[in-house]
Amino acid sequence: MSRTFSGRTRRWRVAVALGAAAALGLSGCGLNEGNSSSGEGSGGDAVLRVGTTTDVSNFNPLQSLSKTDSWILNAMYPHLLRIDENAKKAPELAKEYTYTDGGKTAVFTLRDDFTWTDGKPVVAEDVKFSAESIMKYKLGNVAAKLTWVTSIEAPDATTVKFHLSQPYAPFAEGVGFWMSIVPKHIFEGAGDLSKFANDSNWVGAGPFVLESATKGQRYVMKRNDRYPLAPGGKPAVGKVEFRLYPDVNTMMLALRNGDIDLMGTPVPASAAKTFANDSKIKLAKVGALGFAHLTYNMNNKDLARQEVRQALSMAVDTKSIISSVLQGDAREMSGPISPIFADYDNTEIQPYPFDPAGAKAKLAAAGYKDGDGDGLFDGLDLGVACDQSNANITRVVQLFRESAAKAGIKLTNECVERNTFLSRTKDGEYDIDASQWGVFDNPMDQLRSTYLSSNPGGINYNLLKSPEIDRLIDDAAGTTDPAAFATKIKNIDKVVHEQAYLTPLYVENFQFAYNASKFTGFVASPSDLLGMVTAYSLAQVKPVG
Amino acid sequence: MARFVLNRALKAVLTVWIAITATFFLLRLLPGDPTTLMVEGDMTPEMRAALLKTYGLDRPLLEQYVSYLRELLHGNFGISFRQIQPVSDILLDRLPWTLLLAGVAFLLTIAVGIPIGVYAAAHRGRWPDRLLQGFGIAGHALFVPSVAMLLLVWLGARLGWFPIGGAIDPDTRGLAAYLSLAHHLVLPVASLVLVQLGPYALTLRTNLIDVLGEDYIRAARARGLSGRRRLWKHGLRNAILPALTLMGLQLGTLVGGAVLTETVFAYPGVGRLIYEAVGQRDYPVLQGAFIMLAITVVVANALTDLLYAVLNPRIRL
Repeated sequence: MSRTFSGRTRRWRVAVALGAAAALGLSGCGLNEGNSSSGEGSGGDAVLRVGTTTDVSNFNPLQSLSKTDSWILNAMYPHLLRIDENAKKAPELAKEYTYTDGGKTAVFTLRDDFTWTDGKPVVAEDVKFSAESIMKYKLGNVAAKLTWVTSIEAPDATTVKFHLSQPYAPFAEGVGFWMSIVPKHIFEGAGDLSKFANDSNWVGAGPFVLESATKGQRYVMKRNDRYPLAPGGKPAVGKVEFRLYPDVNTMMLALRNGDIDLMGTPVPASAAKTFANDSKIKLAKVGALGFAHLTYNMNNKDLARQEVRQALSMAVDTKSIISSVLQGDAREMSGPISPIFADYDNTEIQPYPFDPAGAKAKLAAAGYKDGDGDGLFDGLDLGVACDQSNANITRVVQLFRESAAKAGIKLTNECVERNTFLSRTKDGEYDIDASQWGVFDNPMDQLRSTYLSSNPGGINYNLLKSPEIDRLIDDAAGTTDPAAFATKIKNIDKVVHEQAYLTPLYVENFQFAYNASKFTGFVASPSDLLGMVTAYSLAQVKPVG
Repeated sequence: MARFVLNRALKAVLTVWIAITATFFLLRLLPGDPTTLMVEGDMTPEMRAALLKTYGLDRPLLEQYVSYLRELLHGNFGISFRQIQPVSDILLDRLPWTLLLAGVAFLLTIAVGIPIGVYAAAHRGRWPDRLLQGFGIAGHALFVPSVAMLLLVWLGARLGWFPIGGAIDPDTRGLAAYLSLAHHLVLPVASLVLVQLGPYALTLRTNLIDVLGEDYIRAARARGLSGRRRLWKHGLRNAILPALTLMGLQLGTLVGGAVLTETVFAYPGVGRLIYEAVGQRDYPVLQGAFIMLAITVVVANALTDLLYAVLNPRIRL
């Protein structure tokens, strides 16, 4: 008996030991990652640790469509232009741009002091190659912005000419901001760029270049010692390390705990107060390049009527939404152009007042009746679709339902899982779309994408087919004189507002948290796409002390 | 024995095939496709069509399915839509972490659950037993991410005893790396164990109480065997069998729990990969991950059956 017992004990011990060894051995692949960094250095050795939410899904900057990818890739590959703190385009690789040939040729003049990390200069041929590759393989979302390009010239090392089939006013702004410039001498050997993973031996010309990538854990970037937009010609921090935290609550704890120095993703408005008593953590506030809105499906017989759309606009209490849902951290809008684009925002437009009684009277005048006396107009029953993962918009829909009922309009909450929502939106299976535009870098692209009947960006959620709007947009698009262009945009702003094709709700303020006791100098740009992790911002950061 | 193993292997293959087929079609029944999330870019219908063609999603569904099965038989799980990398490489990067997390939680649940269950059964109706009953019911009600966040805030952020997320401090080497690995493992494992332990120990305790009322236990007492011996040798050996089956079945729950735990703790396993791939509708990654998890659960259940037969002398293979 005792022999059996001790034999079993031995087997257990062996099993436990084997299990532990196997468990540790299994994870061995992650234990000997091939680089080391000091983490807490100072001055030139300092490591800035940034929290991000997901892995890099695609290292090819010409193809990637991910926001979190762009934080890393934009630090590596320069763009012709950047967006500054005031949502205006500022020079990056390009010193300037002009239009010639009646707006049919856009000419960029490049700086001559950008250098790839393998020592070769960044030249016009790199820009030409990047654009031609995008056009050839239809890569990313920049391909649509190059629609008008008939040919590209690089007459010398610092000049790039884009010849267009027709003038398009914001062409240079759109392409300049969105298009990554890649090293021709590296990428041209990769063949089909739609299949090029670019996942090792990175060569960049931004302030930092990837040194190692450990999927699921971290991405380490080392400094480019020749980056002309950094003070003194090179970034002050030695490395930038992106650490992964899929859950934003965990990321906030990591910042507070000192595990990271900056949250790449914005702090939710409801959680910003949790940092109030932490003297080390500071919040930088920026506006958005998109906005929240209610968009009306013109294929619905009721929503095709201007009076109904206007009544709905009068049944939304945007002030209350901003104060209760966003704790006041948002700006009210009047027309369909975000006030962040100050040059194009038509300030003469007044938002529709919150007036449920007035809305009710308007609908009654339009012929709607409440035959059964239940306080709701007969047959006016509309669904509001939204992405239920967006907590703010989901709450907006609840508030909208309640306030619309006071105006006699019955609304049904149709908020669903994100992909289902997007799929239904693309197929036009909704009455009212409650959502938030992500990033528009200029108002013209926004108007084209959202109102042109040809629906070039697939986001004409109104399903609008208005010859008048088409004409106004096409006319403005071909206007290269800045003052005339702004006037035409403001006019479209006015028409859309009068027609109430959409009800703008708010422009959200984003708050980015960072450890101010360790690093300073961040330059915040509008939107959660840019925030504090732009190439320009990372190049300006310096350790405290 | 050989017939049993063959029979079990055939059933396992059938189960995995059903899992593959269900995963393949269910994913495609979901609204949207991999281009849906790209809606806010300037995506023209031509670009969308080109992308769908690149992904092979423009072909008839049945053709896609047959082609997928053919590739699987050659060991090819496909290429990730988003990462442009072989799915097998992506999964093999992540699998060790999930096996480590779920495996340690599994072993710990058994190692701690058995003594607790036995102790509660031996002290039936007294406070340790009542405590376990409360803990067991709470285990059924607890939601893994809530427990995980609670532990993270309390033991990680407030007390600073454990790191906030991650699997290892990447700057450590040698023994320090193993210690860091263990340090990072504590809270994710604790989250899983806290949820699994109560129900497991409670099941064991209930079984053991039933067994202790059996005639052969009374006969053992009459033969003069000590209480400890009756409990551990005669009682536990019979009571553990249903609990063993339960653990085999719960392995699936454990792996499911790892998806949520890995997300909260930023743990780089398959669970988090699934979480990210669902949002991106990355079908090849999802299919590969689910097949792998299905195989894990099927193999674990097959091993449980074998172990059951070894432990239960009434079963002869």
